[in-house]
Amino acid sequence: MASQVKVQQIAVSDKLCKGCYLCIWACPWDVLEISEERNWRGVKKPYAARIEQCRACRLCEWYCPDFALQVIVDEKEERELLEVEEKYEKPWLERIRKRDEIVKKGVWWLED
Amino acid sequence: MLPEAEFEHVLAKKYMRTEIMPHAFCPGCGLGIIERMILMAFEELGQEEWDRTVFVSGIGCSGWTPLYFRRDAAHTLHGRALAFATALKTSRPDLNVVVVMGDGDSMGIGGNHLIHAARRNIGITAIIATNMLYSLTGGQMSPTTPEGARTNTTPYGNIEPNFNLMELLRAAGATYLARWTTYHFIQAKNSIKKAVKHKGFAAIEIVFQCPTYAGRYILNRPDPRDMMQWFKENSVPIGVAKNKSPDELKGKIIVGEYLHRTDRKEYTERLREVEERAQGKGR
Amino acid sequence: MYVEPGTHLMQGDEAIVEGALIAGCRFFAGYPITPATEIAERMSRRMPQVGGVFMQMEDELASIMAIIGASWAGRKSMTATSGPGYSLMQEGLGYAIITETPIVIVDVQRGGPSTGLVTLPSQGDVMQARWGSHGDYATIALAPSSAQDMFDLAIKAFNLAETYRNPVIILADEVIAHVREPVKVPQYEDIEIVERRKPNVPPEEYIPYLPEPGEWVAPMPAFGDGYNVLVESVMHDEFGHRIGTDHAAAERTIKRIYYKIEKNVDKIAMYEKRYMEDAEVAVVAYGSTARTALRAVREARNQGIKAGLVRLITLWPFYDRLIEETANQVKAIVVPEMNMGKIVREVDRASKGQAKVISVPKVGGVLHHPDEILAAIKSAVR
Repeated sequence: MASQVKVQQIAVSDKLCKGCYLCIWACPWDVLEISEERNWRGVKKPYAARIEQCRACRLCEWYCPDFALQVIVDEKEERELLEVEEKYEKPWLERIRKRDEIVKKGVWWLED
Repeated sequence: MLPEAEFEHVLAKKYMRTEIMPHAFCPGCGLGIIERMILMAFEELGQEEWDRTVFVSGIGCSGWTPLYFRRDAAHTLHGRALAFATALKTSRPDLNVVVVMGDGDSMGIGGNHLIHAARRNIGITAIIATNMLYSLTGGQMSPTTPEGARTNTTPYGNIEPNFNLMELLRAAGATYLARWTTYHFIQAKNSIKKAVKHKGFAAIEIVFQCPTYAGRYILNRPDPRDMMQWFKENSVPIGVAKNKSPDELKGKIIVGEYLHRTDRKEYTERLREVEERAQGKGR
Repeated sequence: MYVEPGTHLMQGDEAIVEGALIAGCRFFAGYPITPATEIAERMSRRMPQVGGVFMQMEDELASIMAIIGASWAGRKSMTATSGPGYSLMQEGLGYAIITETPIVIVDVQRGGPSTGLVTLPSQGDVMQARWGSHGDYATIALAPSSAQDMFDLAIKAFNLAETYRNPVIILADEVIAHVREPVKVPQYEDIEIVERRKPNVPPEEYIPYLPEPGEWVAPMPAFGDGYNVLVESVMHDEFGHRIGTDHAAAERTIKRIYYKIEKNVDKIAMYEKRYMEDAEVAVVAYGSTARTALRAVREARNQGIKAGLVRLITLWPFYDRLIEETANQVKAIVVPEMNMGKIVREVDRASKGQAKVISVPKVGGVLHHPDEILAAIKSAVR
């Protein structure tokens, strides 16, 4: 049963997915499937086995507790996602990236 | 196509401290879903509301929930979240103060603060995440553990009845009350939106799945998917529950909006009246 | 708005309220308890007059958390209690310490243990003020010995709290709280008031628990300022993130909150010396006991004994150097206290065996009679 909506990608994060498969439970259209192989975190991630059946209802997104999964319908949505990353997330990551350097410079009270 | 190695959901990128994610919750834990309900509620309320929102939480798994939000957040002591939040609200009435609490914070060690916050009708949004036991310490009995349930501290079955939080808060004077489960995603999100806008003490109880302990010990369903299914099958809307006998409702979760009152003044408004009286303005 | 400059007849509990308001205190939360109730009562009337918030909380556990919350909302805040309430506040005190929140706690001491001697004075909480909460930390505790002190030290306490981002405890007692004395209020412009330092970097660059090199504490934003600060009670790193098992980060955090007080003892310590220039016996006292001690010292001088008084105003951090200097000067140190002997242990340790240390304990809820201290002074020179 093919859908009217054409979905470009169902992204599942290697960083965040813990393999609870609530997305598979939530999907009314039987789109997702558990992959055979474990990723570098040891999780058998779900993947869009039948993406043509996806109607972008986003129930899988809502019930994913780990913010690991997202339905990306088209390029416009992909662009929006990258804009959000640039505007909201990037500025805050800089200080964490330099964490060790900053802490080392700042920690003077341990020296006698 | 976006690479999946470091991928995060767009809500996480916009609102969360992705540098400390993935979060510390077990696979399938419902607290992540509660986080998403809160974030989607604010996505719909708009940036302006989000910018003047601060979070307070207590101790326990639930206490970690708002710490992942890129907002001012206080991880306070066990049970004392509402005391901290009360002062925040009275000091800065313009802020939306959202408190996330668990079983112990709200009804156990923090029970006194909860009833007094409701009595004052202070404009705080309390999101009370209950999961039928204490999870962070490894599955002990809590004030929401059903009677008869076996946990790590009730090995012969729980002899205490569980709290009915909604009736407790109604009697104490809260002005907005709702109970949902993590299965009721849209309804809970809408309730959060309403509660944030509500002037007065608003409490939303969200029953969430703890597959690791509640799932294994109480419901005998260690898979989060089975727990969600159980929520779906065992929750009764409040309107339907009215026509059912107590026997029929045994072991069920009665969900819905319990109360929405507008006849009580909010606490910080009354504080302003006190200030005017003290300074000789008005009467 | 404030009490006018000039001399007023005030109760100790009233003086501390007026001092706090002038220092900028704009939030008070408390729970009635004898003998600190008058502080809450006066605050309830005065606070709304100056645009502040007074809240009577459901208990002391809530009172201390409320003043911490108000402090993070940008208000200078204070609570007042007595022994039983102060015991309850120990958990919140620890929270204020690990989150580096400036607050002022007034403990009007009464006799203990437990409910104890409700209406009678004591100095039994001096060790609790230092070691009451669990874990490693340092606190600042000040001991007033007159209504004037209550006024002055209230201002000083807020200044120290803001400077070191740490709780400051005012250890009054029932006598000082209820005594009615003239209190001189200086011209407002002559009063030094330390305001909170706010960050001046963009939010993305602000690190909430990392001070600049050479400084001990980072500037402190308020909730709602846009700095997205994490106020974390779990052991955290400089960013406020939970650290789990990162021992190095835990060590950095614990050592800084400890050293910021203990290594600045020279700046924090306040004391008063009377008749000490040529003294051969020193009485080291604090709080209301210092008043009796002064009478005993004068009496000793009348009888030809070269006695002097060292009044400790800052009890914690303990000023070891002052006691060491005193011990090197005199033959004996007499330490009268309204407890079974607490600060005397610190005096004994700090004097390093250079002088004989004589404890004059007093329990049961009465002040020493000057003759009791005089007898100890005499026994020291005999």
